[in-house]
Amino acid sequence: MNDIAAGLGPAVQGNRPRTAARVGIGGPVGSGKTALLEQLIPRFLARGTDIAVITNDIATKEDAERVRRSGLIAPERVLAVETGACPHSAIREDPTLNMQSADELDRRFPGLELILIESGGDNLASSFSLDLVDYWLFVIDVAGGDDIPRKRGLGVLSCDLLVINKTDLAPYTRTDLPRMRREADEVRGGRPVLLTNCATGEGVDAVVETIAREVLFDGR
Amino acid sequence: MLRLTSIVGSASDPATAERLHALSHRGVVEYVTLNRADTARRRLHVFTDRGTEAAILLERSERLANGSVLRLDDQGAVVVRLEEPQWLALEPRDTAAAIELGYFCGNMHWKVRFAGTMLHVSMEGPAEDYLVRIAALTGDGRVRVAGHG
Repeated sequence: MNDIAAGLGPAVQGNRPRTAARVGIGGPVGSGKTALLEQLIPRFLARGTDIAVITNDIATKEDAERVRRSGLIAPERVLAVETGACPHSAIREDPTLNMQSADELDRRFPGLELILIESGGDNLASSFSLDLVDYWLFVIDVAGGDDIPRKRGLGVLSCDLLVINKTDLAPYTRTDLPRMRREADEVRGGRPVLLTNCATGEGVDAVVETIAREVLFDGR
Repeated sequence: MLRLTSIVGSASDPATAERLHALSHRGVVEYVTLNRADTARRRLHVFTDRGTEAAILLERSERLANGSVLRLDDQGAVVVRLEEPQWLALEPRDTAAAIELGYFCGNMHWKVRFAGTMLHVSMEGPAEDYLVRIAALTGDGRVRVAGHG
């Protein structure tokens, strides 16, 4: 890394945009996306990151209510989007509702640094529009089958960070976790893969560090 | 880390091109190479062709394009370059195969262009990721892979 000493002088172009970084958290139903959110929120708050959350549900505000009730974050910082159809349509084909919600959070909370946008998808093919998010995670879990990575689903292949959750369940679901990890690395061509157990928080620090390094750039 | 927080110009603008040309003689123009999908992002962690680590942080109203200039001053410049798109050329055997192939590509949200009797798929990853998806169509000859790259 040459940094600016390589030839370019210091860049003076302002510190950061007026709007927060937007990070998507997608993946199949039951893989642990909301549990990951609940582990990420206190960690980002602890490092001093000003955050807010958007959740997507088909016809209810179930996930948003769960996060609001958790006491982890001020309830007004959690918005719910009711998609009315498969949530992946609201994060990819037409992300307008989510973009409006994120814009609203930026307006309500000046200085907001990070918006986490959680959305389910009923299969392995959900993905986020890059018009909506700057970076996105896809969460799968060992109980869903250790063959998921080699099925080469769109979400597994194209996400910026693949999270394999519920690692503690591997012995009970006959999951060959090392093979699952190896195959995930292979199909993703070396792009990031992290293992977590969101029931205990194991591995979540690395997720926070990755998000901070890739989109926050705050030097904390 | 170099912080690049706005698009200050375009390399296709004559006055900007002239400044870039002058700076290039001093060897202080650096390039960031992106694929087309990444141009939709407003935040990116990148390295220039000279190894400078940089953070791109743009307002949501801004959008990167080929030739976007992210820095331009007397000390140097940073310019965005887009990778050439990679295409997978597919040739359906007959009308029925063409309909099936078109439906499948749409269902996969692949970006395509039409080229006579062939369908070109824009690849945003390794060709293998695409070939494995159409194996059923290519396996029995309904679709022929005419080439990629």
